[in-house]
Amino acid sequence: MGLMTLLLAFTFVLTACGGGATPTTGGTTSSAAPSAAPSTAASTAPSAAPSTVASAAPSTAASAAPSTAAGGSATRTTAPATTTSAAGGTSSTATRAVATATRTGSATAVGTAGSANATPNTSINITGPFSGEANTLNGAGATFPQVLYSKWFDEYSKVTNVKVNYQGTGSGAGKNAIRDQTVDFAGSDSPMSDAELAAAQAKCGDTIQHIPTTLGAIVVSYNLPNVSQKLKMDGDVIAGIFLEQIKKWNDPKIAALNPGVNLPNEDIITVHRSDSSGTTDNFTSYLTAVSQAWANGPKSGSTVQWPGGIGASGNPGVANEIKNNPYAIGYVELAFAKQNNLSYADVKNSAGQFVTANAASVTAAGQSAAERAPADLRFKLVNAPGAQSYPITAITWILVCPKQTDQAKAVALTRMLWWATHSGQQFAEGLDYSPLPPAIVVRAEAFINNITVNGQKAFPGR
Amino acid sequence: MSTSERRGRETATIETAQTGIADGRGMAPASASPAEMAQAAQEKAQVREVIEQKAGGGVSLVAEGVNAWYGSTHAIKDVSMTFRANEVTALIGPSGCGKSTFLRCLNRMHEVLAGARVEGKILIDGQDIYGKGVDSVRVRRHIGMVFQKPNPFPMMSIYDNVIAGLKLNGIRKRKSEMDETVEHSLRGAALWNEVKDKLKESGASLSGGQQQRLCIARTIAVEPEVVLMDEPCSALDPISTYKIEELIGELKQKYTIAIVTHNMQQASRVADWTSFMLAGDAGYGQLVEYGRTEQIFTQPQDKRTEDYITGRFG
Amino acid sequence: MAVQTARRAEKLPGGRVNLAGRGSALGDRAFQGIAFAFAASILVLIVTIFVVLFVDARVALAQEGLRFITGQVWNPNESIFGALPYIYGTIFTSLIGLLIATPIAVGASLYIVEYAPNWLRAPISFIVELLAVIPSVIYGFWGLAVLAPFLRDRVERPLKAALGDVPVLNALVEGPARGRDMFVAGVILSIMILPTIMSVAREVISTVPGTQREGMLALGATKWEMIKGAVLPYARGGIVGAAILGLGRAIGETMAVTMLIGNSSTKISWSLLTPGYTMASAIANQFADANSAVHFSAIIGVAVVLLFVTGAVNLVARLIVSRFGGDTRATGI
Ligand SMILES: Nc1ncnc2c1ncn2[C@@H]1O[C@H](COP(=O)(O)OP(=O)(O)OP(=O)(O)O)[C@@H](O)[C@H]1O
Ligand SMILES: [Mg+2]
Repeated sequence: MGLMTLLLAFTFVLTACGGGATPTTGGTTSSAAPSAAPSTAASTAPSAAPSTVASAAPSTAASAAPSTAAGGSATRTTAPATTTSAAGGTSSTATRAVATATRTGSATAVGTAGSANATPNTSINITGPFSGEANTLNGAGATFPQVLYSKWFDEYSKVTNVKVNYQGTGSGAGKNAIRDQTVDFAGSDSPMSDAELAAAQAKCGDTIQHIPTTLGAIVVSYNLPNVSQKLKMDGDVIAGIFLEQIKKWNDPKIAALNPGVNLPNEDIITVHRSDSSGTTDNFTSYLTAVSQAWANGPKSGSTVQWPGGIGASGNPGVANEIKNNPYAIGYVELAFAKQNNLSYADVKNSAGQFVTANAASVTAAGQSAAERAPADLRFKLVNAPGAQSYPITAITWILVCPKQTDQAKAVALTRMLWWATHSGQQFAEGLDYSPLPPAIVVRAEAFINNITVNGQKAFPGR
Repeated sequence: MSTSERRGRETATIETAQTGIADGRGMAPASASPAEMAQAAQEKAQVREVIEQKAGGGVSLVAEGVNAWYGSTHAIKDVSMTFRANEVTALIGPSGCGKSTFLRCLNRMHEVLAGARVEGKILIDGQDIYGKGVDSVRVRRHIGMVFQKPNPFPMMSIYDNVIAGLKLNGIRKRKSEMDETVEHSLRGAALWNEVKDKLKESGASLSGGQQQRLCIARTIAVEPEVVLMDEPCSALDPISTYKIEELIGELKQKYTIAIVTHNMQQASRVADWTSFMLAGDAGYGQLVEYGRTEQIFTQPQDKRTEDYITGRFG
Repeated sequence: MAVQTARRAEKLPGGRVNLAGRGSALGDRAFQGIAFAFAASILVLIVTIFVVLFVDARVALAQEGLRFITGQVWNPNESIFGALPYIYGTIFTSLIGLLIATPIAVGASLYIVEYAPNWLRAPISFIVELLAVIPSVIYGFWGLAVLAPFLRDRVERPLKAALGDVPVLNALVEGPARGRDMFVAGVILSIMILPTIMSVAREVISTVPGTQREGMLALGATKWEMIKGAVLPYARGGIVGAAILGLGRAIGETMAVTMLIGNSSTKISWSLLTPGYTMASAIANQFADANSAVHFSAIIGVAVVLLFVTGAVNLVARLIVSRFGGDTRATGI
């Protein structure tokens, strides 16, 4: 509750400062980084589009903001997120988004300057069996990277004889699991909030680390029998559909973007996640960034108030519902759409281009990641700048406690993390994910090296 | 004996019975007050009035070579006898000799049981109820039945119990007509005075004797020609038994009545005709003797009949 | 030793009977003690369940007060917890299930008891009882693969076409025919509670005394008239009881419903086509996801409400039974 009050106070200050141009008190929400102000201020410079969470926290604000502005995401540039969230008043979701941005910005200030050009350490080759390492690891969480993780852990057991179990329970359940330390690691594509981090301190004894593992595209996938052309959609249309304001497939707004496509006069059946999900968090962050109606309505979060539609559990659940229901539409990680042979729309990005989701367009969106990722690597990539960037790109993490207590487990865990962020990256593209930008890998290395077990460095370096 | 003669005799019988009340003899209540006696007399008058209003009388029922089976068990064999119109015929015999089975053959209730089967003819007014194209449901509307154990419908009110049969016929009578029938039938069953203030109460809320009279009221409400009664008094106390016996004496003016009983006195009191059945060594029941009641009881033709009525066996 | 003494004592010369003895009383007391312990442990278990649930739900109940059951918004992000949509979903689907299952169960029971040839009775009963042992999740899968598409295409769409323009009734079919909604969940519930209702209904119907049936037949009733006039009224109390048992199962049913109800939209509407949650499915869905103490507490709160609704439904049903009489009177013949 105290946090809520602070956030509220924060938004009021923003309003008072006229359009939120100078949120000098930004750092108040973050216990970790009180020196946030300068970079946040930069990110909310007039005419920028700070509503994209990703662009809200550039380390080099000067370059990020103009590129977004130049991209001219038509409907959005005039409505800075800060104004929106202030208008939203009591919305903790909106305020939390801002808080993340602030926190992110502040972390950036602590600095990764220069690391953008660093290259990953390729001299370490993880093999096994390794004496003294646990032979099983248990993880749970996000279903978004599940396709890749399955491949990884299969490969990894061949390389090291370590069996890694991963349960796709959704990011929300994953975050709870790492908080309660019922797993060795969690998967999530929704970063933990400050409150969640604080809650997790109790069992871990330190701040949970976000180790990025891969990038992926969230596609707007649909089941339209007898329509063979790929549909085109923009933020307004997607938001309209999921707000159930666009009810029919042949709605003029959809038709306008898809001339020549014979759209059926059928009810649109929307499908969304029923569990607490990072995919939802990224998808709704995107919608919040691009649609005023969405920003005023459901907003962003791992769970939101859907105006209707079918709820399904996990990416596989949503993919199944789309597959089984003609005229359905939903959002899933690209790999799930491909696996199930589902169609998915080209989405208009902030540069006004309709972009197909694939490894290249995700990689393009990831270009900006290195510059904008904060020190703790909690950030989102949606609505990234760049003509080739796919706009609903998400980053996913493995969450670990940096203060391990079980020697064998800690060794196994750090070796697995190293392998995943290095050798594992080669599997991404084949499965429709994108490898991490090298600069991010370098920073992940630092995280892995910082993991301790009973005060000693856990990673054996091989 | 002519009909008028018979009538006279019956009246005499009933009056004798009534005198029995005053004498404190027989079945009658030992301590009937004058008021109670007056009420009984009034009730009797009501019954008679109702009976006399009935259109048409009873019709005769003739059984010809009736055989009945339960699965492969042959229960009765070759029973032939006549139930004369407007007379009471009693069926007597030791337990298990097939009295109930035979009675149930008379209105096609036997075949309701799984595996039960009937052969032979039963003619009502000359028509075979087992003939081709005869609907058992219609048969039962003309030949009503009162069971050994009173079986009012517990979920229905007294009122609804009485008109249960009428509702079946699909005749939608007006409320006033229904009311009339209910009162009429209850008077006819000598129950009206006891229940007229609680017609909305459950049929199960009555005493056993009242329940049995309710069942009689229910049966006569549909105005059948023949009424079959299977030990109607066996579950009742003497007073209730007496009331029902009296009722039978009245009802026969317009109905043909068949009654199964184990009570010799009852048979001699109410029946004009009596038939004696017996199951032989072969297992199936057969008709041994049939005749006027006083003849069967005073000068039976068959040794077995004599043994039975004198209590020497059975 | 004591037993022997006691035996000998019984055979005292002189024919005096000695009834004193402690051996049997001891065993008796021991058994009484054990039986009491079992009975008490059940009581303790129930009390513990209630206490634990209440304690865990306290935070959310204190925050929301009465709004917890009257509020229509359930938004963990803003820490608002109104469980009315879940309560509504539970009642709506259970009623649909009951409305469908009860007539079928009664009809099938009547067929088995009154019409079916002997050789067919056991197989039919067996098959129906088999329905009861099928795990919930199997129903869910079958529902997803077969039932939902069938209902969507063969029932919901035609129904929508037929009622879509009829005033008032069109409220029943508002929204797209998705095959994931209250209706589909209600239908799967009806199948799942069918064996429960049927086994009791069959029992009740077959115990209607023969004298009742014959009494009606002897008045000139057809078989159907006999059933309507004698069998059903007599069995009514028991049938209501059977339906309650079914309702009890429907209210708590989780897995299959969760798979088919749509897990969505906290809308309260009369539309059969509303996707939603039941209390049980909401608990199942959110239990692992709750990331704040209040959210977790609110989910436990839903469990408390679920307990109470079950209790209330039973109470109401019992009142109905006693109001319309039932077995108590019927057996009083
Ligand atoms: N439902 C039945 N199934 C098989 N056999 C039966 C059935 N009812 C009666 N029986 C048999 O048929 C024979 C005649 O029985 P019924 O009931 O007609 O005798 P009853 O003369 O009426 O005897 P009671 O005076 O004891 O009533 C008996 O041997 C009896 O065991
Ligand atoms: Mg008998």
